[in-house]
Amino acid sequence: MSFLTAKKAIDYILTSSLFFGRQKAVILDFIGGEPLLEVELIDKICDYFKLQTYKKGHKWFNAYRINLTTNGLNYHTRKVRKFIEKNITHLSITITIDGNEIKHDLNRVYKNSGKGSYKNVLKNIPLWLQDFKDIGTKVTISSADIPYIKESVLHLYSLGIHEVNINVVFEDVWQPGDDKRFEDQLMQLADAIIDGEYYKDFACSFFSEQIGKPLDPELENQNWCGAGKMLSVDAAGNFYPCTRFAAYSLREKRPIIIGNVHDGIDKNKLRPFLTLDRTTQSPAKCLECEVASGCAWCQGENYDAADTPTIYQRATAICLMHKARVRANNYYWNRLFRKLELEGEREHWEDNKPQSNEIIC
Amino acid sequence: MLQYMIILLDDTSTSFCHYETTKTERNLISLDNLRKAIRLAMIENVTAQMVYPAYELPQEYYEVINTIDHSDIAPLEQKNENSDVIVLKDWQYNPPKGCVAVVRATLAALLEHGEVVNEWLKTVARLNVVITDVDTFTDDDQKQYADFLQKLGKGVEQLFMNGLSPQLNLLTDRMMLTSMNNCGAGDTCITLAPNGKFYICPAFYYENPDDNVGDLEQGINIPNKQLYKLGYAPICRECDSWHCKRCVWLNRKLTLEVNTPSHEQCVMAHTERNASRQLMVSIREKGIFLPDKELIPEIDYLDPFNKIKK
Amino acid sequence: MAKKLVGQVTPAERDEIQRLFERRNGLNELAKILTADNQELYERLVNDMGETGTKFQQWWDTMSQQYGWESVPDGSWEIDFNSCEIYLVTPEP
Repeated sequence: MSFLTAKKAIDYILTSSLFFGRQKAVILDFIGGEPLLEVELIDKICDYFKLQTYKKGHKWFNAYRINLTTNGLNYHTRKVRKFIEKNITHLSITITIDGNEIKHDLNRVYKNSGKGSYKNVLKNIPLWLQDFKDIGTKVTISSADIPYIKESVLHLYSLGIHEVNINVVFEDVWQPGDDKRFEDQLMQLADAIIDGEYYKDFACSFFSEQIGKPLDPELENQNWCGAGKMLSVDAAGNFYPCTRFAAYSLREKRPIIIGNVHDGIDKNKLRPFLTLDRTTQSPAKCLECEVASGCAWCQGENYDAADTPTIYQRATAICLMHKARVRANNYYWNRLFRKLELEGEREHWEDNKPQSNEIIC
Repeated sequence: MLQYMIILLDDTSTSFCHYETTKTERNLISLDNLRKAIRLAMIENVTAQMVYPAYELPQEYYEVINTIDHSDIAPLEQKNENSDVIVLKDWQYNPPKGCVAVVRATLAALLEHGEVVNEWLKTVARLNVVITDVDTFTDDDQKQYADFLQKLGKGVEQLFMNGLSPQLNLLTDRMMLTSMNNCGAGDTCITLAPNGKFYICPAFYYENPDDNVGDLEQGINIPNKQLYKLGYAPICRECDSWHCKRCVWLNRKLTLEVNTPSHEQCVMAHTERNASRQLMVSIREKGIFLPDKELIPEIDYLDPFNKIKK
Repeated sequence: MAKKLVGQVTPAERDEIQRLFERRNGLNELAKILTADNQELYERLVNDMGETGTKFQQWWDTMSQQYGWESVPDGSWEIDFNSCEIYLVTPEP
């Protein structure tokens, strides 16, 4: 992205009262490729944002965050350190370390050598946790990752990462029997967390008290995904409801471009996203599902997998995986609560439990 | 449930709706395909609607067409005593007395020829005005359109006072309805093109002939069929502009989703709805009018999207 | 460091200090990129920093008096923006 394009994007979002004037705060989220390769550009863009919001007396000067998700390889470099130091009170950086070495290196390898990046990422984890002590990491699980779930979560805990946000991918990658293997891993993880008393200080988003219940079609009808409530800008200055709708993220479908930095947002193209609800896009089996709560979806994957170019057809590739998660989740809470009650610790734990944020995109 | 099958007899068959007939070369449906289509219409128990081009068909076509109870949509040039709907190309030629007429016009042309509408309403059984540039409808257009409908309403009111029962889709449909009554493309209505393939509506054929939903050999297969139904349209199902065409082709063109109307379509329909309300109020001030119908309620929005997102 | 819960403010009071906190951070970060070359903006920034710092301190003074929070020499108060709770933070002996 050129700096000029970034400037135009910022100028647009700061002046478009139609969509963004209503938001109390804004997050500037930089994703790549690998964003830290362009940390100087990001720094320049952030500076421009700060100056413009200050000059205009814009309310976002008092309410903004800068987010980066990085592979962590360049985290220690001088220019990255300088950027962090300069922006620390508004900055949040997530290093995606995927778990233990085997799991991480299954998915994250150097382009030329094909060698895994785990060892080099690991070197920067202490520095990262020193900068952002309460930060979590995000892990995604695909079919080949299932055998390493338990070890990976425990490994991340052992590194000092207190919050592991983890979810299965939404794409239809699952093999017969994956749900059983997944459930087995989560049961082992549940036992390990309870026996090791990690539940006192650590969180893993796989286990949530809110999941696995039926949903009311009227009262619990909201869309899961935030596509359309955020704005994604590509290097050419095109706007998307989420980066998952850009050409490089899609397998089958044409990108959904909802405007650009020159012409602004085409509000008609945003309407389907803003009126989307759970029941309209879900098949009957989801509406009747007795363990529906917590079963997530990605609007971009729904679109990509749909029979027609629509965001109104929910993909259900994770159905069996969600049900497996619910069974293990039930086991986890039943066992944990019983243990806490027997130890007289339930109330104390409820008052002090670590928080987990279900971040799925 | 499917109720109507629109059969385009030729690639140059007249447009009676928002789309343009973009093909200029004659390409008549084969007699074989026409026979198969009629047979399918009978099997599926749907009403066939034949759409004619502006030239006379070979005699054997009329004979085949007459093997099924059907309705005819024809351009003025090809009208005959059997034509159920006559499509007018411009404002110069008056529609035949007692007919159901369709006139397609841009908003600018409609505003310019508004007085003709009142004249035609004195003689036709029904007039459908199709505005062909809905997609470019601006706030300023909305104001002009509202003024135009108000003026037109006065003329229509006078016709009612004179004991006539004028039917004009823009003003009288909404007051007569008790629930949604839309185009139904993809839900109650399907289109057969001269190539023997099915389309959601003629517009889908003219826009992209590859965008078919089956053919005469394999039958009709509409993926995500539910999205053409009212219950799957989050904005429309909350709306009471019951006369709105709810054009799924315009929806897809402007919002990329067949179940989501554009702001422009909503504003236009609500401008008509509100004018219809005003007409109803005005006539009722002078006497009993449609006593079995509820007065159209007053609302504070022109786009139900704003109501949903409140 | 030792932390002790000593009080709680209302959400509206929390919003006020959070806004001042964010603004102070924003001004501090802006100060790193704004030079005296841009005189008008620079002067505005300097004034704003002073004004925001004063309001920030005033909030703590007013609230501590209003609620009578416990205090100790070398101690300081902290607010948890999520719970609106006020903590007294003291260095470990």
